Amino acid sequence: AKALHGKRRPFRAADLARFMYDDSLAPRDALKKWRGEDDEEEEQEENIEDEDDDGFFRKVNEDTVDDIESEDRPIPRFDYEDLAAKWSQEDSIETLRTRFATANLLDEQEG
Amino acid sequence: MSGQGTEFLRFTGHRSFAHRLVLSTLTGRPVHISKIRSSSPTHPGLAPHEVSFLRLLEAVTNGSSMEISYSGTTITYHPGLITGTVAGAGATWTGDVIEHVIPANCNRGITYFLLPLALLAPFSKSHMNVRFSGPGVITSATATGDPSVDTFRTAVLPLYNLFGIPAVRIELRVLSRSCAGPGGRGGGGVVELRFASQVRLPKTLHLNRRPGRVRRIRGVAYCTGVSASNNARMIHAAREVLNPLVPDIHVAAQYDQAPLVQVGTDKNQKKRTGIGFGLSLVAESSATGVLYSADEVSPPQGGVVPEDIGKRCAYQLLEVISQGGCVTGLSAPTVLTLMAMGSEDVGRLRLGRDVVGREETIGLARDLKTFKASTWGIRDADEDDSGDVIISVKGTGVGNVGRKTA
Repeated sequence: AKALHGKRRPFRAADLARFMYDDSLAPRDALKKWRGEDDEEEEQEENIEDEDDDGFFRKVNEDTVDDIESEDRPIPRFDYEDLAAKWSQEDSIETLRTRFATANLLDEQEG
Repeated sequence: MSGQGTEFLRFTGHRSFAHRLVLSTLTGRPVHISKIRSSSPTHPGLAPHEVSFLRLLEAVTNGSSMEISYSGTTITYHPGLITGTVAGAGATWTGDVIEHVIPANCNRGITYFLLPLALLAPFSKSHMNVRFSGPGVITSATATGDPSVDTFRTAVLPLYNLFGIPAVRIELRVLSRSCAGPGGRGGGGVVELRFASQVRLPKTLHLNRRPGRVRRIRGVAYCTGVSASNNARMIHAAREVLNPLVPDIHVAAQYDQAPLVQVGTDKNQKKRTGIGFGLSLVAESSATGVLYSADEVSPPQGGVVPEDIGKRCAYQLLEVISQGGCVTGLSAPTVLTLMAMGSEDVGRLRLGRDVVGREETIGLARDLKTFKASTWGIRDADEDDSGDVIISVKGTGVGNVGRKTA
C-alpha cells in the first residue's frame, strides 16, 4: 500500500488545478508534474546552473534555445512516423472505432 | 494616459502575444510585455507578424496607444474601444472594409490574424469587415503551425453559433489563395472577413456531455500554382486511411493559379509566389458543435509527395479525434476565452486530457486569471473512462462596451 501512495497517481484533475495556478512553475514543469514525470529531471536542471559562464560569450543553454524556437503553434508538431506506425495497427483503429458512427452500437450500452 | 497612475498588467515573453493583446482589448486593461525574444541573438524583439497584428489592432479600435521600446523587446499597450469598421476611422479605405496589408517578411498564416480578430469582432461596436491583402498573406496552413483558412471557416467559425453569435452573419471570403512563399515567408493571398454578428453579451455554453461519434468528414484540398492532380492524390491517400472508419467523406478540390506579387517598388515587376498544396480535414460529430480538424501542407522547400500530405493529414485527424473532448486544441483558446468574457454564468466544457495538458492551455488559464477572470474549476469526467477533464468557467460579463446602452 505504501508503494501505491509513494507515487502520485498522474492526471488527477485536483492536481492540475493546483499546478495550473502555481505561478512559480513554468507551464512545462506544471504539466510534467501533472503527468508524474518530474522525478528524475529535476537534478539535471540543477547542473546547468553550475557551469560558470566565462567571459563575454555565454553559452546559450538548451532551455533558451528551445524557447526561441517555440513560437505559438495552434497546431502542435506531430511526429508523423510515430503516427503512421500507431494508426496502421489494427488495435488502435479498433479502439478509436467507438468514436465513430460506424461502430457497432450493440456491443456497448451507451450510444 | 500613463501619467494617471494606470496599472499595467505585466507579462514577459513572446508566447501568446496576440492573445494577451486581445484579452487586454476586451477587458480594457493596459498591458506591459517585456523580454520579447530578448535572449535571441538573431531576431530580438517583435517579429513582423506581431508588429502587423499591432497595426491591425490599431485599425479596428479607437483610442489604442502603444509604445514599443527601441530594441522592440518591450511594449506597453493601452487598449481603446473596439469600433470595427466605422466611417472616418481605420486604415486604408476601399468601400466598407478596412484593408490590412501584411508585409512580405511575415511567416505566419493568415489565421494568426483571423483567430484573434474573430475573438474581438463580436464585441465590436459596428461590423468588423477587414480585408487582408499584400505580399504576406498566406491562406494555406503553414510550417509554423497555423491552420488554413478552410479549417478556420469550417471548424472554428461554427463554434460561434454556440455562444449565440450567429455564424450565418460571419462571412469569410477567400478572394485569392496562396501557400507560403520561398523560405516560408510571404504569399499573395487576399482574404476578407465580414463579421456582422455583434452581440451585447455572448451566452456561455455547456459542452460537458460526451462528444458523440464522428459521423462525417469534410475537407478541402488546395493547390496553388502546381498541377491540380495533386488534389486528387492527396484526397485518395487520405481516404485510404479514413474510409474504413467513416464512409461519408467529401473533400472538395480547389485549384488556383499562383498569385502575382509585386517585386520591390516597381509596379510592373511582378513574380508568382506561394506555390504549394495542402489538405484540410474536418470531422463532424453527432453532437452539435463538436468538430475535429487537421491541417497539413507541403513545406515551402518542397520535396514531399501529395500522398504523404494526405496520409499525414488523415493521421493527424485520427490523433486529434483520439485526444477526445468536445473541442480541439486549435479552438480551445477561442471557446474558453468567449466563455470567460461572456455572461456571468458557469459554463462547462469537456476537454481531452492532451488538450488540457498543453502549455498553451496552462498559459491561457494563467493569463485569464491575470486579467481578473475567475479561475477555472477542474474535475474529471466521471461517467466514463475516457480520462477527459471538465472545465467550468464562470463568465465575467465583460460583454460589448459599445452596445451597453443599446
